[in-house]
Amino acid sequence: MTGPLGYLAARSTRNRLLRQLRRLRTPRYAVALVLGLAYLWYIGGLQRPGPGAARVSAGTVELLAAAGVTTVLLWTWIFGADRRALAFSRAEVTWLFPAPLTRRQLIQYKLFRGQFVILINVLLWTFLLPGRWAGAEGWRRAGAIWILITTLALHRLGVALLRSSLLEHGAAAMRARAATLAIAGVAVAAALFDAATAVPALQSAWDLGPKELLLALRDMSLRPVPAALLLPGRLLVRPMLAHDWAEWGRTLLPAAAILAAHYVWVVRSDAAFEESAAAAALARQRTGRHRARAPRFTARPVPRLSPAGWPGGALLWKNLAALMRTGRARGAVFGYLAVGVVVALLSAVGVSRPLLEAAGWMAAMWAAFMLVLGPQWVTNDLRADLSRLALLRSYPLRGSTVVGAETAGSTAVLTAMQLGLVGIAYIAFWGGEVRDPSPELRTAALAAAVVLLPAINFLAMLIQNGAALLLPAWVRVGPDRPIGVEALGHNMLVMSGFVVILAALLAAPAAVAGAVFFGLEPVSGWWAGVPAAAAALVVTGLESQVLLARLGRVFEETDPSSVPAVESR
Amino acid sequence: MIEAEGLHKVYGDLAAVQDLSFRVMPGEVVGLVGPNGAGKTTTLHCLAGITVPTRGRIAVAGRDLAAEPVEAKSALAFVPDEPHLFEYLTVEEHLRFVARLYRVSQVDQRIPQVLREMELEDRHGALPAELSRGMKQKLAIACALIHDPKALLLDEPLTGLDPVGIRRMKATILDHARAGAAVILSSHLLHLVEEICSRVMIMRRGRAIAFGTIAEIVAARPDLAGRRLEDVFLGLVGQDGAENE
Repeated sequence: MTGPLGYLAARSTRNRLLRQLRRLRTPRYAVALVLGLAYLWYIGGLQRPGPGAARVSAGTVELLAAAGVTTVLLWTWIFGADRRALAFSRAEVTWLFPAPLTRRQLIQYKLFRGQFVILINVLLWTFLLPGRWAGAEGWRRAGAIWILITTLALHRLGVALLRSSLLEHGAAAMRARAATLAIAGVAVAAALFDAATAVPALQSAWDLGPKELLLALRDMSLRPVPAALLLPGRLLVRPMLAHDWAEWGRTLLPAAAILAAHYVWVVRSDAAFEESAAAAALARQRTGRHRARAPRFTARPVPRLSPAGWPGGALLWKNLAALMRTGRARGAVFGYLAVGVVVALLSAVGVSRPLLEAAGWMAAMWAAFMLVLGPQWVTNDLRADLSRLALLRSYPLRGSTVVGAETAGSTAVLTAMQLGLVGIAYIAFWGGEVRDPSPELRTAALAAAVVLLPAINFLAMLIQNGAALLLPAWVRVGPDRPIGVEALGHNMLVMSGFVVILAALLAAPAAVAGAVFFGLEPVSGWWAGVPAAAAALVVTGLESQVLLARLGRVFEETDPSSVPAVESR
Repeated sequence: MIEAEGLHKVYGDLAAVQDLSFRVMPGEVVGLVGPNGAGKTTTLHCLAGITVPTRGRIAVAGRDLAAEPVEAKSALAFVPDEPHLFEYLTVEEHLRFVARLYRVSQVDQRIPQVLREMELEDRHGALPAELSRGMKQKLAIACALIHDPKALLLDEPLTGLDPVGIRRMKATILDHARAGAAVILSSHLLHLVEEICSRVMIMRRGRAIAFGTIAEIVAARPDLAGRRLEDVFLGLVGQDGAENE
């Protein structure tokens, strides 16, 4: 890319890099970088097993990777976020859209600009994936990963442009979505129809164990319909698995052809995306939110804020009101209620016991997953308000009050979601007449969850908010946060760092809870879990108190000018 | 009353505010003027407790901002140049929210008063996205006024307002000053400053190069006698913003 757009992309990237390097003069950023690199090195080391370690066959790896790529492609068609894929910054909309440039030039510029994030992720994945990362193997792998990630990014952009084109040519929004749904639906239905005939074989394999199940899945993937569906994915991942230059070159050609076809598809699109992109730019500037799409708020009624009481309660109320005024909150509540009612009805009439047991396990496991994933999804706290730091600082509240009240907002939401799932699991296990775990253990676990989840979630949210406060330039809380497969490496690292810190903080409460439990268990049975949970609660509370006091001081010392604007991070 | 003693704020190698000392008494309106980058907003941010000064002391209504931040902030209100509103709270909810933060009593009586004063009565249920730039500015000012602050800090308060809104805003500022508030406003609109400010501080490169009534400032520069504030300003900072000693 040459000319003014090339100049803009090159200088923006250079200046962004320089600014990030300059940030390292601040000790907290330097320390975070060193810790991050050390962690990366450790994780990278884990990916290089010794000579005696068991290896998964290349065929299985290719199948799983191709299935993953196919899932991403289908996901793009069904749930792809047009506005994010087409997002230009406010400055780009202001300066480039009225400029004498063709749409093709704008798209090429967007593709070129996206390479910065892609190349960083290529570097990360080259290091993180099993095998040698240095030398010829490293170069081969980097090239293959670049083709894969770039193709997926192009695919996302292409789908967004196609939707834009459908809308431009008069199709209603729902019809545009329906078209993509229909295509994906036909593909999935064909695969499911084909898979239905393989169910008996899969059931037998399930009974024999995971290895046999993998083999059965591999056999199934060779049938015509799944094979056709998985073919693009297979072609894209094969170069990553190549053992030498000859194999790499041979497998690279089809992958590169897919990439080239995507490039042609995208740059030849005549979709008038400007309006959609401009709206997205405006929304992202206005909201500064961590959302796949900037949320749309409607003034639906929320409980009235009591005029008297703890001033921090106003912040908590504000953050809960923010959530209640998006359609998502209502959808989630209706979803929970619907599932809860269905599970309760099935349990009451005592039918579909295996289904209820499976539903119970799924709900319980999802509640557990949300301990890790939830703090990154639910962000109605300081992370959403970081762009208003100056305003928050002007309020007559102590720093710890602001941080605590803000954190309580997201903690309340996450805890409600988890308790809903735990409740559904409890009812489903009861209706499924599950004997293992025993009803006594389940009731004790439910009581422990009610006691412990708020405390654990508060601690987890404090970590997330602390990261946003300590490293505002690194924690991408705005809608310009890198998304999609091209940013998976970055996001995975952030999540891993969070999990390590949370695990370290939970070690002490877990140790205390363990001591109490095993001390009382001979007398109280599983009910010893309740005092153990209470003991863990006390320790978690103390940890939160210390963390809150520290973060409160950080909040009071943080100069709002040190927090980069959403678009300029 | 707002007091600043030896206020100093440094960003890296840049001294944004240098050794600023002044006192604004209840009932006074002080105008902060100066070229872009003179340190006006940084000064206001320090006074509002948003930015921690590198050194110096600030007191609001007799409370030291560093030692008693909550008490000092309870007595002041800050209106930024850009209205930072919560896009999911309605006009009335913004006021309820701020009233709770500042522990305002009799909120249900106070809110209609402020809405009427800011001509936002018929927009009380609107979200910020449904408001014009001027209305958003009015809402930000309404939020600042709801707790009857003893110290009012306004950064470019008239930005985005229509002529009627400007006139009402000037009256509102003067009303609050007459009611006993100490007011500091920063503006590039020199005629506004000349019209409503009892004293003026002219800043340049973080320093106050003149502070007093316009008459006092002119007295120090006899060559500027009889001139309007705009001429005085240009005479002091120069046409290009360079100080003209």
